[in-house]
Order: sequence, then C-alpha cells, then structure tokens
Amino acid sequence: MSEEVGYTVASDSDTTREETSPEIAIGIDIGTCQCSLAVWNGSQVDLIRNTRNQKLMKSYVTFRNESPSPVGGVSNQLSHEYEMLSGASIFNMKRLIGRLDTDPIVSQASKTLPFLIQTLGVGVKPFIAALVNNMWRSTTPEEVVAIYLVEMKALAEARLKRPVRDVVLTVPAAFSRLQLTRIARSCAMAGLHVLRLMPEPAAVALLYAQQQLPKNMGDSGSERVGLIFNMGAGYCDVAIIATAGGVSQMKALAGSSIGGEDLLQNMMHWLVPEMDSLFSGRGLDEIKSMGILRVATQDAIHKLSFQPTVEIDIDLGNGTKICRVVNVEEFEEINKGVFEKCGSLIQQCLHDSKVANVDYIDDVILVGGCTNIPKLKNIVTGICNKSEVYSGINPMEAAVRGAALEGALASGVNDSFGSLDLLTIQVNAHRLGIRADGNGFVPIIDRNTTLPARREMVFTTAHENQTEALIVVYEEGDDEKLLLLGYFKVVGIPAAPRGVPEISVCMDIDASNMLRVMAGVVMPGSGTRNPVVPLMEVRMPTADDGHGLCAEALSRSFGSTLDLVTLHNKL
Amino acid sequence: MAFSTSPSFFTSPNFTVNHYQSSSPASSVRYGKARSPPISANFATATAERTTSRSPRIATTSSLYDVLGIQIGADTVEIKAAYRRLARVLHPDVGNQDSSPDEFIRVHSAYATLSDPGKRADYDRSLFVRQRMGARTSSPAGYSGRRWETDQCW
Repeated sequence: MSEEVGYTVASDSDTTREETSPEIAIGIDIGTCQCSLAVWNGSQVDLIRNTRNQKLMKSYVTFRNESPSPVGGVSNQLSHEYEMLSGASIFNMKRLIGRLDTDPIVSQASKTLPFLIQTLGVGVKPFIAALVNNMWRSTTPEEVVAIYLVEMKALAEARLKRPVRDVVLTVPAAFSRLQLTRIARSCAMAGLHVLRLMPEPAAVALLYAQQQLPKNMGDSGSERVGLIFNMGAGYCDVAIIATAGGVSQMKALAGSSIGGEDLLQNMMHWLVPEMDSLFSGRGLDEIKSMGILRVATQDAIHKLSFQPTVEIDIDLGNGTKICRVVNVEEFEEINKGVFEKCGSLIQQCLHDSKVANVDYIDDVILVGGCTNIPKLKNIVTGICNKSEVYSGINPMEAAVRGAALEGALASGVNDSFGSLDLLTIQVNAHRLGIRADGNGFVPIIDRNTTLPARREMVFTTAHENQTEALIVVYEEGDDEKLLLLGYFKVVGIPAAPRGVPEISVCMDIDASNMLRVMAGVVMPGSGTRNPVVPLMEVRMPTADDGHGLCAEALSRSFGSTLDLVTLHNKL
Repeated sequence: MAFSTSPSFFTSPNFTVNHYQSSSPASSVRYGKARSPPISANFATATAERTTSRSPRIATTSSLYDVLGIQIGADTVEIKAAYRRLARVLHPDVGNQDSSPDEFIRVHSAYATLSDPGKRADYDRSLFVRQRMGARTSSPAGYSGRRWETDQCW
C-alpha cells in the first residue's frame, strides 16, 4: 500500500516528479556474492548487462588510495581474483550488514575473509577495513553496499538512457528488521528510492504466478502449490505458495543465515585445520594466502557439482602447500550440518504451511547458486517426493525478474495483455512481540501471518498504582534469539489496583512491511471505552547500534517497576 | 463488558491511519507507491458498492460468508476463488489509494476460518446458534465474539 507521511514539507518539490515522468522502478537482486538488475521493458522483463555483457556481477567493492570514491565490481570482474588477494576488496557485506560483533556469523567471517573484521564480542558493530597502501581504511557494510549500489545505478542509467531512482530490492527472508533498515539506509545513501524490500521467495512467487497465468486463468482455475527453495552464498529461504489466476498466496516462509559461504568456510577449515591461527596476523602475506585458499576452494566446490572428484593444488606461502584430491562424498560429509539445516528448514516450512502432505506440492522451484549442488537438489526433491524440479525459471535470474515485475506493478504499469495482472500476498517471516510477565517474551504477531496484518493484545499493570509502563518491542530471529526493535513508555495510567487498567498494545504491518506499534489505556468500569490518555504510535525499529546492550540496560533499570502482565481472560 | 465484543479503538473511527493516507503525497520517505488497479471496471464498481454500503457496525455483525460474498454451503474451490477475486481488488498492493488495509484483513480472516475445515465447522455451529438467538439478545451466549479476527491460520 502507499505509505504516505502525515505531514508536508514546505520546500518539498517532490510531488511534481510523478506527473512528469512515470518512471518504471528497476529490480535489484543484491546477493552476498553476485548481483543482477532487471527492468520491465513494456512487454517483458529484461536483464541489464554490464559493459562486459554479463548479467550477473560480482558483489564487491575495491578501495583505492587515489580516489576517495572506491570502485565497485560492476565492470571489472576479471581482476576480481587478483584484487581479492590484496586486502583492498570488501565483499560478503550482505551477510554482515546489521549484525553485531557477538553474532557467530561475524566472528566466523572475521577469521576467514581476506580483509579486516575486528570483533570485541561485547555487542557493538564490528570494525571493518580494507587494506590500501599498507594502511587499514575503515568502512561499514552500509557504506560498501551503498558504493556498490551507486555503481549499479550508474550502469542502469547508462543502459536505459534515463535517470534511475525507484527500485525494488530483494532481501533474504531471514533478514531482521534491523537489517532491512540498514539496507534501506544504503539505498538512501546511493540516492535510490526504495519502493519495496521484497523477500526473495516473494519475488520468485510473482514470476511463478506470471508463468502460471495462461494455465490457470480465471478465479475458478485450479490452484497450483509450489515450494520455493532459494539458497545463495549468504542465506537460505523456503516458501510454500498457492497460485491461481495470477494471485500467489504465500502459505509459509522460513529463512536462515546459511549459505554457500558456510560450505566454503567448512571446506577451507577442512583443508587447512590450523587456518584460524595461521592467518590471525592479517599481514600482507596472510591476506594473500587467505585469498588463494578462498579462490581455490570456491573453484573446487563449483566443480564438485559437475564431477565426482576435484584436485586442489595450491601454495599458500610460508611453506604451506596443499595438494589433495577431494571427492563428492567428502564434501558432503564436511558440510553435513549445513545440509541438515536446509532439510529442517524445508520441514519446518511445510509444517507451518499446513499443507496436508507433500503430494499436494505441484512444483519444486529451485533458486540460487547453491541449488546446483546435487546433494541439495536431492534433499529438496526427496522431502517433496518429486523426481523433477520446475524447469520454467532460471535459478540465477528468478529473484531479479520477480523484483522487476514488482517494480512495474509498484510503478503503476498496466499491460494490455494482462501479463502484469499479478499479486503476491506475503506473510511475515518473524514473530513480533513485547516484553511482559516478568521479562518474558509475549508474541503478538506470529510467524506466517498474512500481510497486511493487525493484531492486538491487552495487558495490565503489575503493581498497585502503577502509572507508567514500558513497552519493549522484540523481533524473534534465528534460533529464537530476540532482537530489540525499540521501546517507549505509556504514561498517565490512572492510579488503580494492579490488574485493573487495560493497556492495549496493537501491532500493525502494512503491505510494504512497515511495522507500527500502538498502545492505549482504557479503564474498565469508567463507563467509556475511550482511551484515558492519547494513544502512542511508534514506527519500528527505533533501536540502533548496540541494541543488545540497550535491552540489558532497560531490563536492569526498569524491568520490574514498569512491567506489564498479560490479561489472559480478555483474549 | 468483555473486550472482545467492543470494537478496538485501533480499528474504530476514533483511531485511524487516515493521516497516512489522506494527505497529499509529499516526502521522499514514502515506502510504497500507488498502483493503478489492474482489474476490470465491473470489479471496481462491485467493490465500491461493497465498501460504501458497509459501515463498520454492519461488518462486525455480518457473517464470514457475507464478507466473502458466498453462500453458506460454498465448497473450498468457491471459497478460494472468492478470496482471490476480493484480494485482487482489496489488497493494498493493488492500489486503490484510499482503501484501508482493514478490508483486506477482514476478507483474509474470513477466508482463513472458512478454508480450514475444523475452524469452519466451529464457526458454522456458532453462526447457527447466533442466528437462532440473535433476534433476542445482543450478546449471544454461544458465539464467542470476534475471535476469528485474531485467529488466522496463516
């Protein structure tokens, strides 16, 4: 839906823009490892190629001393491997954006990526730096993504011969709201206006719905149920969708921060068990060795998707040489944990979707670079009891094509042939709730709730004559870890025995996934259902860096005095 | 009075999100853009009638079948078709700029109840009781208020 601000700025001349140029938003799939751009050309989706005529571009940024503005990986893919060995290239930022230095993904990255990631392990942002002229130049994941997006914008503008401002970006289902905020900030830094941050499976669902249009036209057409499994370098998503007549209803969505990078890290540690201590110094030689190891291992993993064995023969310097043959069975054994996690994510999604059994699944849709791995393909088709996968889409292009369709839809494009007569009804990937009942987490919006959504729960005071209550809002992430999104106080509760005032907390997510939390106080028996104090309405997230520390401080300072209790009998 | 029988002030007219929607498009902080509805004209008029003819009060007392515009005996295929038809008109992504998400939320929760055999059976029983007692009492004993509003299956 259109989320419009409730105020106008006198100097804002933005309103005239739409009437003069009905710009079609471009779709961007910014991956951990690769990135692509696409746009609706009036009759279909076109991928935008770079100057080397490539549709897929490596996601990295190289910092150079001569220019304050660093160079992204849009056009110089061939030099990538060389640059990676120098410590001047920063990549994998999609996996690190919006994470704290206590996150295991950050600490693993700090040991395996050939540039500087310093972690203190206290719950603050990690320090990230590129080596330029033997000096560490600091940066942030947001800045790297923004620099990269500037390059992408310039490329798209050159190809389309028009300014590009409106974009639809795909994001992993596992992204927390804090991570979404950071990506949106990167886009703003790059001068892009985000119409949607779209979960990758939702984009794929849109493309699938379009492809199914001729087969099930009309509302009474039979419904096709699809399972989307998307795994790239950084993240893994699963979704179950039911599609008919151009409308895809998502039934369940699940995501996890596992991806090809985990396969790569496991493999590197297996090849060089002592690599953590070997590379801890981060001198020029160590970075070069890490780069050599990474490139060779990545290459080996790619080859193992198509051949039973691969030979790795590299010299890491310092007398460390690796020369061995790896076979597929060894590769699968090394990464057993990753494959098991993928399997359980699919099972969880199937369970959440309430699809009675896997025979109801018509199509298994594989997306992302990792789905080339035979083992993963077998896991997905095995669980779904299918012998074949859906062949209608290109696994490397599905997400960006879906994003371009969404871009056309969000820009108000009409297609006379009806091929934009599409809708994806999305669900919420993470549970949202507040702290109540003595430092407990009380969910208000569950996972897999159809968007837009509004849910309300009634709480009451924990103490006699309690006049204030602290609303602390959390999102549940991977492994039921709670992330602080924000907090505010409800004040002016009339003095009353505990358990009497009714404090309603309402969570609202609109179709563009914007979360607002509202709270109001009602006194039962006062003869009116009108709130006794003005309602509070807060857009989330409001918390920023160091939100883990912040949550602890809030709990320490106000935990018991401003607590709330769930009013069970009112629900 | 039980909370469940009184309309929440978050959805009632004294608390609306209108200030987000009725103002003129202004700032660059917008997250979404309007879409012109990719639907045929007769759908649009049908919806216009639906939305204008129904006040919130009527909406809370009409049955879930009324919300989807189907007969009480409708089968699953008909329920799904009705839901999709309404979604294509009412979903905020389809972009009647003045449409509030409430309409779609209501349609979806009706669909969520009626497309689940267990929930539908429970609902049908409560509907039967309500229809028999509804004429006499304002708070029917057998009908558990608007529980379905907060009780989606997905």
